[in-house]
Amino acid sequence: MVELDHPFQTGKGIEENWQLVTDLERVIPCVEGGKVLERTAPDTVRAEIKVKMGAMSMTFTGTVQVVEQDESAHQTVLRVKSREAGGQGHANADVRFSLGDGGGTVHTSAKITGKAASMGEGVVQSVLDALIKDFTDRLATQ
Amino acid sequence: MRLGPENATLTVRTGKTGAAAKAGHDLLIEVAEWSATLDLQAGTARLTADSRSLRVLEGSGGIQSLGEDDKASIKESIDSEVLKGGAIAFTASQVSGSGDGALTLSGELDLLGTRRPLTVTLSTGPDGRLSGNATIKQTDWGMKPFSTLFGTLKVADEVHVAIERRHDG
Repeated sequence: MVELDHPFQTGKGIEENWQLVTDLERVIPCVEGGKVLERTAPDTVRAEIKVKMGAMSMTFTGTVQVVEQDESAHQTVLRVKSREAGGQGHANADVRFSLGDGGGTVHTSAKITGKAASMGEGVVQSVLDALIKDFTDRLATQ
Repeated sequence: MRLGPENATLTVRTGKTGAAAKAGHDLLIEVAEWSATLDLQAGTARLTADSRSLRVLEGSGGIQSLGEDDKASIKESIDSEVLKGGAIAFTASQVSGSGDGALTLSGELDLLGTRRPLTVTLSTGPDGRLSGNATIKQTDWGMKPFSTLFGTLKVADEVHVAIERRHDG
């Protein structure tokens, strides 16, 4: 299990930040290569992420579900369950947002298996760290 | 002496770096269109290459083996994001030998519009064999090494260029 914390700044008010991260159709495309495929329940979508590695890429498809939502504390948890397309690997994660005025923090607990994990936990951690940093930078531009 | 694809090979070897270097491939790339002249008596040499003629021969390492589609995709990236059809020309103004068949060519490489000094080592053999090597540090020529996977996988700054005349060439 990889655990990562990222503070982020959006320059937006707390309510605007809340609206952004609780809207799966807006927040998932902030992950590079991420897109919503369809809404399957009020709190769940089917989604995919295509992770580019130069000429090659790995695509993970699965669900993103809102499993916790505390509006008064401005905290929400998104649960990602995905499987590598054409492979045996999985990428699962709980992503906890704690929001405030101007930004917030995101705590990620991720478990990656399969080919991606064969690079080693240190590599997976570095790539996830860079992916989430890129994601939080994109949140600021929404 | 004239050299070109008809009697020699010009190749580029790249490595990889970054936290996710394990995910990438070391590449052997062939330059398909190029020509060179070497005049040892006059102490001059010149090589020009078509920067759109590079193609990937093989890739080693990585978490998945490179397929033909992947090689074609890398070629597209080289053409559109790295070399962009820019000029490649090396002109040597000094050729010095050590007597054991080893030669050093000192000159300038014009790479995508930036001219910088470059030294090429050449070795020759009695059977007509000739091989040359040079190391090019991309950032010295103002190039930004190709980067992917959120910056965690990069082509190593130094690439190794080799020229080899075939025995029957």
